[in-house]
Formats: sequence, structure tokens, C-alpha cells
Amino acid sequence: MPTRLKEVDVVIVGLGWTGGILAKELSEAGMRVVALERGGPRATNPDFAIPLIRDELKYAVRNALMQNPARDTLTFRHSPSERSLPMRQLGSFLPGEGLGGAGVHWNGVTWRWTGIDHALRSHYEHRYGKAFIPSDMPVQDWPMSYAELEPYYDKFERTAGVSGKAGNLRGTRQEGGNYFEQPRDREYPLPALESSYSQMLFKEAAAQAGYHPFPRPCANASRAYTNPDGARLGACVYCGHCERFGCEANAKGSPHITVIPKAMAQPSFELRTHSWVTKVMLDSSRKKAVGVSYTDVSTGQEYEQPAAIVALCAYAINNVHLMLLSGIGTPYDPVTQKGIVGKNYCYQPGGGGVTLFFEDKIFNPFMATGAFGMALDDFHASDQFDRTAMGAIGGATIAVGQSNGRPIGYRPVPAGTPRWGAEWKKATAKWYLRAMNIGVTASNMPNRYNAYDLDPTYKNVFGQPLLRLTYNFLENDRKVIAFVGQKAAEIARSMKPTSMTNPGALGDYNIVPYQSTHNTGGAIMGSSPKDSAVNRYLQSWDVPNVFVVGASAFPHNSAYNPTGPVGALAYWTADAIKTRFRNRPGLIT
Amino acid sequence: MKWAALVAVALPMLALAQAQGDPDKGKAAFEQCAACHSLGEAGDYDGPTLKGIIGRTAGSLDDYRYSAAMKRSGVTWDAGTLDQYIADPQAFIPGNRMAFAGIGDKALRDDLIAYLAVAAR
Repeated sequence: MPTRLKEVDVVIVGLGWTGGILAKELSEAGMRVVALERGGPRATNPDFAIPLIRDELKYAVRNALMQNPARDTLTFRHSPSERSLPMRQLGSFLPGEGLGGAGVHWNGVTWRWTGIDHALRSHYEHRYGKAFIPSDMPVQDWPMSYAELEPYYDKFERTAGVSGKAGNLRGTRQEGGNYFEQPRDREYPLPALESSYSQMLFKEAAAQAGYHPFPRPCANASRAYTNPDGARLGACVYCGHCERFGCEANAKGSPHITVIPKAMAQPSFELRTHSWVTKVMLDSSRKKAVGVSYTDVSTGQEYEQPAAIVALCAYAINNVHLMLLSGIGTPYDPVTQKGIVGKNYCYQPGGGGVTLFFEDKIFNPFMATGAFGMALDDFHASDQFDRTAMGAIGGATIAVGQSNGRPIGYRPVPAGTPRWGAEWKKATAKWYLRAMNIGVTASNMPNRYNAYDLDPTYKNVFGQPLLRLTYNFLENDRKVIAFVGQKAAEIARSMKPTSMTNPGALGDYNIVPYQSTHNTGGAIMGSSPKDSAVNRYLQSWDVPNVFVVGASAFPHNSAYNPTGPVGALAYWTADAIKTRFRNRPGLIT
Repeated sequence: MKWAALVAVALPMLALAQAQGDPDKGKAAFEQCAACHSLGEAGDYDGPTLKGIIGRTAGSLDDYRYSAAMKRSGVTWDAGTLDQYIADPQAFIPGNRMAFAGIGDKALRDDLIAYLAVAAR
């Protein structure tokens, strides 16, 4: 028998970046807020203190900070004709679990998405004609413009301590920044990080070729920083343990050192960890949420937490799962193309990159940060880049990062090297210091068959159907990777390496090797309930006191990392709740 | 004679850990420490408080969990030991847990230590 608790103003499901931002903003506005986090509590000290945090086997290989697939996972298939099977080990992507969520173990790349991303369909129809967009590619505009979101991007950058160099201040181009970026009202809060040697070489070669290299914006603090809320960040020490680790130096913008402690300081805020939300409870009209059901996974006790507002702030995948389990909105059916929840799942094709080997250069790859990099937007944010030559929609960024040089995971060897044995050992020792990578990261357009629904067979520990993911890369993705991969290879050749790998062609999506934790869509935002699950304030069209915050709202995926707009949208939604919904509950118009 | 007078002045100054630094500049440099260290009560900080650091034995606060390396270092914090530690923390006390690369600039270290002498009493 579940214990019924006292009603609060807001219940937040999941306490990572989006939950943390809402928790802080709404509790500071005097609302009574309870956050339910299904993982445990975490703090820099002792959880991320050196030397124990440098345990590559525990954190990078065995994913100690991530969702445990033995308790909850999803099932996967490439197409509706295949039988879906559960993902029993994490691989392709790494959803976070525990206080701070994936905001603890992300790398920190923090983009503002492009003007094209914000108005995708309008842009392509206007520039290339309506026929350029295939009929099975349901792309749509964001329901808010870049300019509307600009102050919120800015707010998130200042919260997270983003290091970078502006390329466009209020319409004036800035030397050294991203030539193609949208106008910013002001500079980044912190200057760009130091570049690695490989990044310097790439910058020179890319500029020679006529491109516009710039330092990638990242939430790795280039120097000590106090954010506008008074949260203190240390300076990055280039230790190469960002992604999959918590930061020992508090130098990575993370919710557990910024927004969450600010919420915790509010008497109107309460955090409950190990609290697994299984369902959003609706009233008999099914147009109003009355709270959530959850289980304390440390005791097994079930609870009902009544609330006037339910904010789904779990990982993007789990937000969609909770909507489907709770019956919020109509599930999407790829055959009839009716319904909406589960639609437009997108990921992020990579694989067009090349690795360069130099007999005569030492790159010291262990001096690394998760996010620093030298990037090109000439084939992504640029409107000057004519997509007709590529024959596809979207584009890709080209970048030299150097997220780590860790002993287990980082073993670059030239093509043709044996996979094990004495020859492999010799090669890995020789090339460890002498290799660098040029990465290609592509945008991903939706397709009618790439979607989520509930699995008919497999269930989680609570006996609830697992989420089923149907997904594959498609022709559009292959064209983008092939086209931009060739451009990356041309730059690489001009750098005259001793040898280099060939840019691989994009095959079928493989859920096993890690690619990126950039899963988007499923609860997409839009201007009409016909084509979206949530409105421009990330408010459910069907159940208006449910807000679904995070990358689940993206109608497509950019070639950029998602966290910049994820943070911006969380602030945007918090504002809408505070200033509009709170006074006049119902659909915000 | 001149030399002796200098020593006579310099030694007590060093003992007070004011060294040659400028505490005002040191205050700005302290931002590099402030992510983890308080100058007052222990509070919600990841590192031990620096209140009373000058003259304290390293690793000696009861309410902070130090690394074994820090506890057995036998260091007493004064201007000289702080200078060596801040210059290269891992070289001075190998295996300690402070996640900080160090400050290479001697003048900046002097400023910081001068600030600590004033602000972390």
C-alpha cells in the first residue's frame, strides 16, 4: 500500500542539469519543490577525490556513475521488421544516474545551436525548395527563435562557467571566434582553454585551406571562476578525466556544484535520493497530473507524491519512457504516422574522422580536457555551404579534441596493426604519443521509422514494459559523413602525417561501441499539438501541468552536443512556470 | 652591517609569513583556491578550511579527512612550506589529494601567502 505524502507545488523527476536548474529557480521563487532522484547522492569530496577517481577500469570501462542496465534498460532493433532485444550492457550511450545525472560525467562541450537548427524546415524550404526535404523526414522548426533563447543560453553559460571565444558580438564578427555563430550579447564568461599541439597544427592547416577554425566552447573552466549565483569553480588541470568521471577540481561545470547546492539552501526545497518514479498519476479526465508514484529503492516502500506541477527532468530517454508508461499524450505509430510520443528519435552519426600518425611529433595526449578542441563549422552552421553538392540535409562539424590519453581506452595504432600480441604492443607503445585524431560529428535528421515505443516482451525490475528503440542511420546520414569526412581527410593529408587512417563509410548503427550520449527527441516541441508532444514552454499539450524538460524535446539533432540548449531550455521553462503558469495554471499561450 | 640589518628585518617578517607579497593582489589569486577552501568555518567546502593555516601542522584538523600522504608529511605550514607546496603540490607532498596543478609564478605565490597571512588568521 503506497504511502500518500503531503502535496507540494512542484515535483521534479531526476536531479541532473535540468532538474537542478528548475529546483533552484522554482524553490528560490518560493515554490515548495521536491526532487526525486533514482540514484544516490554524490559530492566532489569524497566521491570524485583523487586518486580514487582516476580509476579508469571502474569509471570508464565499468561505468560506475551511469545507469545500471540490470535494473532498467531499453530494447533495440534497427527496423520494425527486426525483433527487439534488451541492451544488457551500456555501450553506444551512457545515461547518467545519481545526483547531478549525466551533468556530472559529461565532457562539457557547450554550444548554442545554429540559426538553421532553430528554424530547420523554414530554412531548407526557403533556400533549397520544398522538394529538397524527403517526405519521410519529418523535420520541423523549433517553436522559439535563437534570438528568443539567447538570454537563456547566456544564463546557462554563466552558470556552468563556459570557456570560449565569441565569434559574433551583437552582429559584429570577432577575430578568433566561430565565424558562423549567431550573434551573442556578450563574451563567454571565461577565455578559451589552452590548445593542445594537435589542435594548433589543425588550426594552421584548416586556416590554410580557407576554413574558419575556432576554439570549441566548453564548460571546463580555463581559470578559477565564481558564477553569478556565487558557486565557485576551480581551474581545469587538463587531467584527461572528464567524460565518465566527476571532476576532482570542481573545474567542470556540473549541477552538483552549481544549481543543486543553491536549491538545497532553500527551505522550500527537499531532495529524496534512491527514489524511483514509476508513473505520473493522472486524474480521471487524464488531462491533469495529480502527482507521481515512486519507490524508495533502498527500502522497497512505495509512495505517492501529490503535486500541482510535475516536471520530468530525467535523461531524455527516460522522460519519454515515463510519458508512455503514464499515458501522457498519444503514442506514435510509424505505420499510420499518427500519435506523437516517441516520434523523431535522433542520435549523432560519427565515424567520418581520421587518425593521423607522425613519426616526428609528440602530442602528449594525457594532457587533456573533456571538451577543449579546435573546431570548424564551415560544413554545419554555415549557410554559405551549399547542401546541393552534398545532396543531404544537415551537416557536420570537424574538430580536433583530445578528451583523454588514458591507458586502457586510448591506444591509437595505424591500420593493419594486429589486434593483439607482440606487434600490437610494440605499435601501441610507439604511437601513443605520436597520434592525433580529426573527428567528424554529423547532425541527424528524423525519419518516420526512427522512434520509441513500449516493448511488447521485456520488462524492468518494476514489471513495467521497457522502452523500445527502433533506429538506424539512413541515406542522408551516409551522404553527410561521406562528404564532410572527405573534407576532414583533405585537411589531414595537408598536415603530411607519416600515415593516416581512411575516413570510414557510415554503415548500420551499432549500439555496442561508445559513440555519444546525445540521444534526442521522443517528446518533441513544436507550435501545434499536431506535430509535437510539448509546446514552446516544454509543457505537455495533453496534460498541461506536466513539463518535459531536456533533449527529449529536440525535433532533430544538430551536429553539436546537446547540453547548451538543454540548459537554456531549462531556464526558459523555469521562467515560464514562475512568471506565467504559477499565476494562471493551464496551457501557456 | 647592511646585510645584518636586512636579515634582522626579514626574518621576523618571514615568520609572520607576510614575505614580500601584496595581500591585495593575493586576494585575487585566492579565487584559484576558493572552489575548495574556506577562510572561515569549515562549511560546505571540498577542502579543509584555511583558517589558522599559518603555524598549523599539515593534516591536523579533526573534522577533515586527509590523505595519508598529507597526514604523515610532518610539514608545518609557514611562508616557506606553503610556497613550496603551492609551487608544485604533488612534488612537495607526493600522493596528496589536492586537485590543483600549482602556481609557477613566484611573485604571485608571495602575494597569495601574504593574503593568507592576513585573511586566514
